[in-house]
Amino acid sequence: MALKESQPIAVTPSTPAHTRAAVPKAAGRRRSRKRLLVFTILLVVSVLMLLPFVELLIGSLRPSSETSSDTWLPSTLDWRNYADAVKVIPFWRYGRNSLILATVNALLTTISSALVGYGFARLRAPGKNLLFGLLISTMMVPQIVTLIPTYLLFANLGLVGTYWPWVLWGSAGAPYAIFLYRQFFSSFPKELEEAAVIDGAGRIRIFVQIFLPLSRPLLVTAFVLAFNVVWGDFIAPNLLLDQSNTTLAVGVGTGYVMGQGFPLPNLIAGGAVLYLIPVILLFLAAQRSYVRGFANSGLK
Amino acid sequence: MRSRTARTTEPSRRRRLGGRRGEALAFYGFVSPWLLGTALLTVFPVGYAVYLSFTAWDGVAPFKPWVGLDNYREVLTSADTMSSLSKTLLLVAIVVPTTIVGSLVLAVLLNERVRGRTVFRTLIYIPAIVPPVAASLIWKVAFDQNSGAVNRFLRMLGGTAVSWLTGSHAFVVLVVVLLWGIGAGIIINLAALQTVPAEQLEAVKLDGGGAFTAFRHVTLPVISPVLLFQTVLVTITTLQTFVPVLLLSPMSDSGISNVYTNIPNANRVYMVDVYSQFFAYGRYGYGSAMLTVFFLVIVAMTVMIFKLAGRTVFYAVDPNAAAKEG
Repeated sequence: MALKESQPIAVTPSTPAHTRAAVPKAAGRRRSRKRLLVFTILLVVSVLMLLPFVELLIGSLRPSSETSSDTWLPSTLDWRNYADAVKVIPFWRYGRNSLILATVNALLTTISSALVGYGFARLRAPGKNLLFGLLISTMMVPQIVTLIPTYLLFANLGLVGTYWPWVLWGSAGAPYAIFLYRQFFSSFPKELEEAAVIDGAGRIRIFVQIFLPLSRPLLVTAFVLAFNVVWGDFIAPNLLLDQSNTTLAVGVGTGYVMGQGFPLPNLIAGGAVLYLIPVILLFLAAQRSYVRGFANSGLK
Repeated sequence: MRSRTARTTEPSRRRRLGGRRGEALAFYGFVSPWLLGTALLTVFPVGYAVYLSFTAWDGVAPFKPWVGLDNYREVLTSADTMSSLSKTLLLVAIVVPTTIVGSLVLAVLLNERVRGRTVFRTLIYIPAIVPPVAASLIWKVAFDQNSGAVNRFLRMLGGTAVSWLTGSHAFVVLVVVLLWGIGAGIIINLAALQTVPAEQLEAVKLDGGGAFTAFRHVTLPVISPVLLFQTVLVTITTLQTFVPVLLLSPMSDSGISNVYTNIPNANRVYMVDVYSQFFAYGRYGYGSAMLTVFFLVIVAMTVMIFKLAGRTVFYAVDPNAAAKEG
């Protein structure tokens, strides 16, 4: 019972009380005119946001002979761009590298952040507030500030060119994910643990059997966020990996150029579409948990 | 009845979980992955960069000649660095207010009960999940001088093609790339809008106040902490803009290694300068000094934003209360 009450609201709002109230006719007409205006604005913004995708898709199917023509639609749909895009660079190998790195890192980040978040939310210890301050300040430390010195460190340890840095980053957890978990776990009532303690459960068991199962939306959110960070990251693989084992982000970002450095727009479009498909699919699959995870975190 | 149960369970709980000291040990056990990781991967690298900033290391030599504050003196007087810093600040001045206001307005609109609201939410949010690499490529293709859609549109209107990706126009493209991802803020604002108490909005209405009054006096105060958090975050991400600049610029056939020379002057923001110092000129000491200064600027900006907002931001709940209760 108590658990249900304290569970934070989902993002989809229920009808606010004031809109349900009976309204006089004139006000009703004004309201519907206002809704039409809002609808129009949202439609225009949505179209503007989506146009680049449409142009990208069309571009990926435009024959290379027509790239500079002034027609909006190609005369024929040329699927060769996709075939070439996966041939000009070792697309599938890079894709597999990205998949491995992103999955391993995201799994480690998700679990590790949950552990740390649980610690911050449910356990008392001297120095905890200080460490929480450190956590919040590391959220503010830009990746770019630490990356170059970290690269020098990894070079000294002989880890440049390996996937170990991503294992280490994942094991350390991600500050934003830890923060989300901590907010979420803090909202649970104390009785939840006390009942388990009476049953003789230890900390690890309480965490694994009670808190983890309850945080499924957040687990998904943390995984998707971490996966996207690695899948989308350009700088770290560009610095730490080489031609033979780098990721798709680097391959797609730099691979489609001609001898003199001229870009190959139709191949870039094809490669970018293929590179984006997993990101969009993952988002659509996880959208619900994703949005709920954010709403639950009570980011305030 | 209740209190007796509490009293009897409390000691047994202590015993089973090892008491206060056991709890502290458990805490350090749970946070140890992060604690060790942060020490190794954040604190140490920052410290190492600070150390290097006092040297003139070239990245290769076995020794690191100590030069004291020379690098810092150069950072603060170098015309190149000042120019890259001012471009970065211009970018922040354009992108941050636009993102914050824009994502707030769109969130409010998406919170209205209009037809197709969920579809609009998804559509407007989707660009925000596009990784920077893809976003940069999409716009690079769209702004291409010969084959890009933007110039095709201009030619259709009878204008002439613009060389968007070189010269001063490149800055416009960079701003477009950064603003396209505005949806990230919208989703956070939408979640925040759900916390605005409907009764208070109702109360304003009963007092004869309009929608704007309700927004100004109820909604805005309630969501102000979220807006503050976003302002800090967007400022920091905008300050470190690097990947879009790199990928929007003309590549060379040898890939990325000497791309720094191809970056148009208008887009030589601070991080481009830093990377050039390290990897094009081999000035590891100077580059580290630039990173340290950047780090200090970020700390100062964060503190400043919190200070400025301290007077206006309204916390409905004591933000520290949750931390204390744990």
